[in-house]
Amino acid sequence: MSRRHVARAALLVALAAIWSVAAYLLWQSRVPSSLHLPHVAVDRYFTASQLHAASSYDRFSTIVWAVTVVVELVVFAAYARWGMRFARESAAGPIGTGLMLGMIGFALLWLAELPFDVAALWWQRRHHLTHTGYVSYIFGNWIALGAQFVFLCLALAIVMGLARRLGNWWWLPAAPVFVALATLSAFVTPYLLGTHPLRDPVLLRQARTLERIEHVQHTPIVVQPVRNVTSLPNAEATGLGPSRRVVLWDTLIDGRFTNRELRVVIAHELGHLARNHIWKDVGWYALFAFPGAYLIARATRRRGGMGQPEAVPLALLALVVLGLLALPLQNAISRHMEAEADWMALQTTHDPTAAVGLFRRFVPTTLDEPDPSTWEYLVLENHPTIAQRIAMAQAWRLRYSGR
Amino acid sequence: MQAHPVQLVVEDDLRRNRLTVFFRILLAIPHLIWVFLWTIATFFVAIVTWVMTLIAGHPPAALHRFMCSYIRYVTHLEAYLHLVGNPYPGFVGEEGEYPIDLRLPEPGPQSRVRTLFRIFLVLPALVISGVLLGGGSYSASSKGSSGSARYSSGGLAAAIAVLGWFASLVRGKMPKGLRDAGAYSLGYTAQTLAYLLFVTDRYPYADPTAMLDGVEPPPEHVVHLVRDPEDLRLSRLTVFFRLLLAIPHIIWLWLWAIAVFFTVIVQWFITLFGGTPAAGLHRFLSKFVRQALHVYAYITLAANLFPGFSGETGVYPIDLVLPEPGRQNRWKTGFRLVLVIPASIVSSALSSALFAAAVLTWFVALARGSAPAGLRNLSAYALRYGAQVNAYILLLTDAYPHASPLEGVPEPQLALEITPDAPEPVAG
Repeated sequence: MSRRHVARAALLVALAAIWSVAAYLLWQSRVPSSLHLPHVAVDRYFTASQLHAASSYDRFSTIVWAVTVVVELVVFAAYARWGMRFARESAAGPIGTGLMLGMIGFALLWLAELPFDVAALWWQRRHHLTHTGYVSYIFGNWIALGAQFVFLCLALAIVMGLARRLGNWWWLPAAPVFVALATLSAFVTPYLLGTHPLRDPVLLRQARTLERIEHVQHTPIVVQPVRNVTSLPNAEATGLGPSRRVVLWDTLIDGRFTNRELRVVIAHELGHLARNHIWKDVGWYALFAFPGAYLIARATRRRGGMGQPEAVPLALLALVVLGLLALPLQNAISRHMEAEADWMALQTTHDPTAAVGLFRRFVPTTLDEPDPSTWEYLVLENHPTIAQRIAMAQAWRLRYSGR
Repeated sequence: MQAHPVQLVVEDDLRRNRLTVFFRILLAIPHLIWVFLWTIATFFVAIVTWVMTLIAGHPPAALHRFMCSYIRYVTHLEAYLHLVGNPYPGFVGEEGEYPIDLRLPEPGPQSRVRTLFRIFLVLPALVISGVLLGGGSYSASSKGSSGSARYSSGGLAAAIAVLGWFASLVRGKMPKGLRDAGAYSLGYTAQTLAYLLFVTDRYPYADPTAMLDGVEPPPEHVVHLVRDPEDLRLSRLTVFFRLLLAIPHIIWLWLWAIAVFFTVIVQWFITLFGGTPAAGLHRFLSKFVRQALHVYAYITLAANLFPGFSGETGVYPIDLVLPEPGRQNRWKTGFRLVLVIPASIVSSALSSALFAAAVLTWFVALARGSAPAGLRNLSAYALRYGAQVNAYILLLTDAYPHASPLEGVPEPQLALEITPDAPEPVAG
């Protein structure tokens, strides 16, 4: 083995070690490592008809998802093979042509996925989870494709611009640039949501108390009107520094949930902020961005590297494949943080009964399957399952109330 | 391609009587009443003609003559109203009576299928005709004691009538560019009417050059297009997503326009005091005007290729020739913002035509994979005029935009010199 190979191997080991240490630090959680989740028999918490409805809804949604993934892979594989032909439709230089090829790839994907998206919409409408009409959905989807094009072009312009200057080393400066953009996006997103302040005085008073307990005082609690589009209840913690806030969908405060249950929701979202989960998201993104960019650079070398427009279709395929491969890992990270937020909510509210009530109500309102199969859990679930969340509430009760 | 059976004949000498121009709309009142009555009669005659053409495969000669007279009369009247013609028109639509006239075909066989669906098939042509001819619309609404009223007008010919009215009053002459543009609008409308009223089953053809065949072309403007008129191919996939694909260009052009705004202010002072624009700024502004043309051509399907981002010359199928920086009239520079207003009005009217042409081309191109030549050439006309307006307002030239739909012809560079040694030119 040559000295060069040894140096390379040493560098690789060092980088892997740095990656592992960083991942270890990001993985730290307030959930006690000794916590044992009791087994939850879902039929004790949900009626047979509720379980059947959730299972039936979930089955079709999962099939549509699986087919969509296959379509995505087929489209991008075909595009990677034949997509360069579209270069003749461009009079722009290499970067401009690359942007066009990127957009055409996503346009083809949009066309191919449209029937399945419409099928998924039909299924949601059938279960009264959305009120969106087909025409407005397709038109909205089309507009969203435009927004996607903007981000895609920005990303490709950065990558191709760097690749034309730095050759195959483009990924080294590109990864931090993308991390910076992700940070900027996390900061700006709350301002683009179209929200209004929460006006319920009781909930607001409760929220202020929870903020004090979780040491995230002066966090705005805002409401996002989505009732015209969906009936699904949801909430999220978003933003960084001055832009951070808790967003409640107005479908959550429409009377279907009790104040105690809403208190758990707000405590959960404040828990995300208290434990810096948005920053951790950025951190994880950074950990994936470097190897991801490197692998794309490797994959596109035989097409002349990312400085050449011919490499763009292949880069799209590589991106999708890497995304799919990373999905179980990303879901695991997300579930880990959501579990910590659940734990923070229990520690703050000391109300496992309300937490269980909230999770039980999720099944009929969202048609989430409480205990999905293992592969679904690994590939699709970015939150702990309802059964796991109930189990955590029970575990908390056992640990702190002794009941 | 075979010439369209409905031919526009332009024998107008551009002179206008100031008095009749001033009172034009009032003088036309008897005609407006007459055309209203004639239109009602035409409506019923058209239904009969439709049925008989479906049965016999060609329109009856008498009804055909009636329709021809109506179309010719409407064209005369529109020409008079829009100041495209000067003399007061007759009331019967007789051929050869008016300087803006039509050559209409004899009754001939027509496709029964096209006759059956004529009312639907004519819709795209009516859209183009609507944006070319335009007109006024009045709407009023009231809520309790408060009310509101709105008057709007649009269309190329309508804009030309307003501008031509002022120009004719001042100069006693209609500007040739405006007259040609008005004639083109009337010609297309006449072809549409002829199609709708079963005079011919040939679809209206929007190509300005074919429409104004026989009209003397203007001298070549310093800002003009370079393109291959035969290149009509359009990629179906990129056509389908054209607007979305153009988003990066629109953002880029918008950012560029911010820089252009400040640059042109500096350039204005330089040109006003120095008499000549600064070469560096001229290059920067030229690239912007060229880039805007490339992007608009791409969005409106006048070109197929995805444009670059730098406004380079010679890389795009529809390109722009722009002048080098030269001396400019200081008065024209000083009052450029005011002077550009009439051209902006025409440009705005042409933008509507460009938009309509783009929408219709979108459908055709998805089906055929190519653009209709007529619409493509109409788009090129609108793009050319828009580029001339941009070049004028951005101080690239002090040559006023020329509204004629005809592409200009280069003026001879050198006069023929006969030297004692040179052989005498031989006739024949």
